[in-house]
Amino acid sequence: MFTFNSYFSIQYLALLLPFTVALYAFLPQKARRVVLLGSSYVFFWAISGKLIAYLLFSTLSIHHIGLWLASIQDECDRTVQTVPKESRKELKARFLSKQRVFMGFAVILHIGILLVLKYTPFFTSNLNSLFKLFQIPIEMEIPSFVLPIGISFYTLQAVSYLFDVYRRKIPADRNLFRLALFMGFFPQIMEGPICRYSDTAQNLWEAPKLQWHNLTFGMQRILFGMMKKMVVADRLNLFIQNVFGAYESYDGFVTAIAMVCYTIQLYMDFSGTMDLVIGSAQIFGVRLPENFQRPFFSRTISEFWKRWHITLGTWFKDYIFYPLSMSKPLKKLTSRSRKRLGNHFGPLVSGSIALFCVWLCNGLWHGAGWNYLFFGMYHFALILCGSLIEPFVIRLTGALHIRRDSLPYRIMQIIRTGILVCIGELFFRAEGLRAGLTMFQKMFTDFSLATFHDRTLFSFGMDKFDFLVVFLAMVLIFIIGIWQEKGKVIRKQLSAKPVAVRFAVYYLLILAIVIFGAYGAGYIPVDPIYAGF
Amino acid sequence: MTYLKRGVSVVLFLAGLFVLLQGFSYLFQPKNNMKEFGMENVCANGILGEKENTIDVLVLGDSESYSSITPMQIWKETGYTTYVCGTGGQPLDYTVTMLHRAFEHQTPKIVILETNAIFRKVSPAKAAITKLSTYLPVFQYHNRWKSLNWNDFTGSIKFTWTDDYKGYHYDKRTVPSKRNDHMKPTEVVASIEKLNLQYISQIHSFCEENGAQLIFLSTPSTVNWNYKRHNAVQELASQLQCEYIDLNLMTKEVPIDWKKDTRDKGDHLNHSGAVKVTRYLSQYLQEKQLLIDHREDQAYAKWNDSLKKYESIIKK
Repeated sequence: MFTFNSYFSIQYLALLLPFTVALYAFLPQKARRVVLLGSSYVFFWAISGKLIAYLLFSTLSIHHIGLWLASIQDECDRTVQTVPKESRKELKARFLSKQRVFMGFAVILHIGILLVLKYTPFFTSNLNSLFKLFQIPIEMEIPSFVLPIGISFYTLQAVSYLFDVYRRKIPADRNLFRLALFMGFFPQIMEGPICRYSDTAQNLWEAPKLQWHNLTFGMQRILFGMMKKMVVADRLNLFIQNVFGAYESYDGFVTAIAMVCYTIQLYMDFSGTMDLVIGSAQIFGVRLPENFQRPFFSRTISEFWKRWHITLGTWFKDYIFYPLSMSKPLKKLTSRSRKRLGNHFGPLVSGSIALFCVWLCNGLWHGAGWNYLFFGMYHFALILCGSLIEPFVIRLTGALHIRRDSLPYRIMQIIRTGILVCIGELFFRAEGLRAGLTMFQKMFTDFSLATFHDRTLFSFGMDKFDFLVVFLAMVLIFIIGIWQEKGKVIRKQLSAKPVAVRFAVYYLLILAIVIFGAYGAGYIPVDPIYAGF
Repeated sequence: MTYLKRGVSVVLFLAGLFVLLQGFSYLFQPKNNMKEFGMENVCANGILGEKENTIDVLVLGDSESYSSITPMQIWKETGYTTYVCGTGGQPLDYTVTMLHRAFEHQTPKIVILETNAIFRKVSPAKAAITKLSTYLPVFQYHNRWKSLNWNDFTGSIKFTWTDDYKGYHYDKRTVPSKRNDHMKPTEVVASIEKLNLQYISQIHSFCEENGAQLIFLSTPSTVNWNYKRHNAVQELASQLQCEYIDLNLMTKEVPIDWKKDTRDKGDHLNHSGAVKVTRYLSQYLQEKQLLIDHREDQAYAKWNDSLKKYESIIKK
C-alpha cells in the first residue's frame, strides 16, 4: 500500500509531490483546487489511514460551528438595529453569551479530542501513582490511543479559525471545500506551520498558476531542507540515541556534547522540514508563514521564542496570552499591582499568570510527560526572570560603562541564550524528568575530557568524520544565517547569477545530500521529530 | 521561446547531474570485492571473484540461508559448486539485486530461495535506493567518502577475492531451543505482502528466462517458521509451479536436535545443524541428476584448496 511517514520519504518526494505538480501544471484553476485537496487527502490517508476520519470530523464541525456563529452574529446585527439604543448593550451581551456557548462547545470538542487521545494515558498513570502514594486501592487501566499524525497542528488551526470568526476578524466560510483545503493542505498537515485562515485559505483556494520562478525557488528550498535533515539531523541521531538511551554510562562531557548535538538535531530536523514544507507550498504559489528566523542569533529567551516555532508562539500569544491578560480579573489585578509595584513590576504580576498558562500549554502541547512540563516551566521561569531583572541589568551595565549594543556584549548574550536553550532541550529529549536531572547533574559532577583524549568519543555512534561533516554544515548554515540577518535574500541573489554558477550551486547541494546524507546501510531512517508531537 | 529555453536548461541540468553521479559512482564503487576496499556483504559478494560460469547452485535468502547450508560439504559429497549469496536480514529487493549480480558472470542451473525472506517487510524507500544503486552505485557506497584513497581515483574495478566457505557463516556455538513444537498443523495461511509477491514473481521470471530452476527451501528454525508460513509458501510454490522443500516437516530426513543444533535458541542452526541440512540437500541435488560432478575437473582445482582450508577450520 502507498504509505509513508515522512516528507523526506521517496514516496513523497518522488511520487506524491511530482505527480501533484504535474497534474496541477496542466489543469485549469478549478481543477487545480481539486488536485490540491485530493492530494492532501491521499497524503493524510497514507500517513494515518482510517484516522483521516478525525480530520474530516474537525473540518465538518468547524464549518458548521462557524456558520452557527455567523448566523448568531447576523441575527444580533439585525436585531440591534430594531431596538432602542439603551437596550442594545444588553441585547448584544445576550447574543454574545449565546456565541460563547457555541464557542465553549467547539473548544471542548476539539481540544477535548486532543486531550483524550494524547493525555489520558499520562493523567491516568499519574492518578494511579497518586492512589498508590495515599494507599487507595484503586488502579485504573491505562488506555492507549492511536493518534492521527498532525492532530496537534490541525486542531490549533481549527480553534484559531473559530476564534477568529467569533471575534469577527474573518467571516465564517460557507465554502466547505476551501475550509477543507485550509485544514488539510498536505505540505503542512504533518508538522505545521500552524496557519491562520486569513493568511492562507484564500491563497490556497485561488490555486495560482504554476510559475517557473515558484517552481525553482520551491525546489531550492526543498533541497536546502533535505541537506539540513539528511546530512546533519539524521547523522547526529545515532550518537544522540546512544547517549540519551544509556545516559548512566556516559560522563558529563559526553552528556554536554549530546545536549548540544540534540539541540542542533532538533533545529536541523524541524527547520529542515519547514524548508521542505514551505518549498513544497511555494511550488504551487502558496505562501506559508515562516516558522524559524535564525533562532540561535537571539539575545534573550523571549527573542528566541519569537524566532523558534513562530506560528506556535503567535498562536499561544493570540489565543491564550492576550485573552487572559485582557480578561477582567487580570486587568483589575494589573491596575492594583501597578499602584503598589510601579510601572515595570506592576503589569508583570498579571502578565506572569498569563505567561504561566502559555508555558504550561506549550510544555503539554509538545507531549504528555513531566519532562515536557518541566521544559515549559523552565522557559516560563527564564522569561519571567529576564523581565524581573531587566531594570537591574540596565543599571548594572550602565554603572560598568558596558554598551549593551556593542558586539562583544551581543555575542555574550547570544552564547548565554544558546546555553540556556541547550539545557532546556536536554530535559526535552531526556527519557523522563529523572533522567534529565541526572544528566544535568552529571555535567557538573562527572565532567572529564578522558573520552576526548582517548578518542572513545568517536565510537558512540559518530566518528570524527561525522563530527567534521556536521561542523562544516553548521559553518555553512551559520554563514547563510549571517547573510540573512543582514537582510540579504540569497535565493534572489543566486537567481541573478549566470546559469553556470546556479547549476554549480545546485550540483553541490545535491551531491552533498547524496554523498554526505545519512541514509542506506548503517543508518535507520529518522521520522521527523515534530511529527511526533 | 521561453519554454524551449527552460526545457533545454532542464535537460542540460539533468544530463550534467547524471554525468556527475556516474563519475562519483565510479569513484565510490569498491575497486575489489574485499572489505578493505569498502565492499559490503563481502562473503556473499565473494561470488564476484569466482571463475566465470563455474557455479551450479545459487542460494539466496537471509541469515537462515548462510547458517544452514555449507557449500563446501556439498562439494565434498557431490562435486557440485554452490554459492550462498545470503545476507543478514535480506529483504527481497536485495535478493533480486544479488540474483542479477550473480548471473552477470555465472549460469547456475538451480536457484534456491530460503523462504524466511519472503515474509520480511520490504521498505519501499530502501528498495528504491537499492534499485537506484544498481545504476548509480554512489547511492549504495556514498559513505565511503570516509575511506577513499588514491587507488579509488586511479584504479580500475577488478573483483579477485572469493570466500573459502562460499558464503557460509561457520558458527559452532550451541544455545539450545526450549521448544520444538513450532510446526503445529493448521489450515491458516500466513499473508505475504503484495510487494513481496511482486519480487518473488520477478525472481521466478528471471530464473525461467535464464534457464535456472527455482526451488523454495525452508530451513529449520523454531523462531522464524510455523505451519501458517508453510501453507503460504506451499500455495505460492503451487501457483508458480516451483518445488518447495520444508525441512521443518522432514524431521526424519533432517533430524535436528534443538538442544544441540542451534546457536541462538532455535533462531538459526549452528554448524552441526547446517551439516544435517546440507547432507540432505546434497542427496536431493544428486537425485535430481541435473548437475555434473566437477571434483576431478582441473578447472575447479581451487575448490579443493578451499575444501582443505574449510576442513582444517571445522576440525579444530
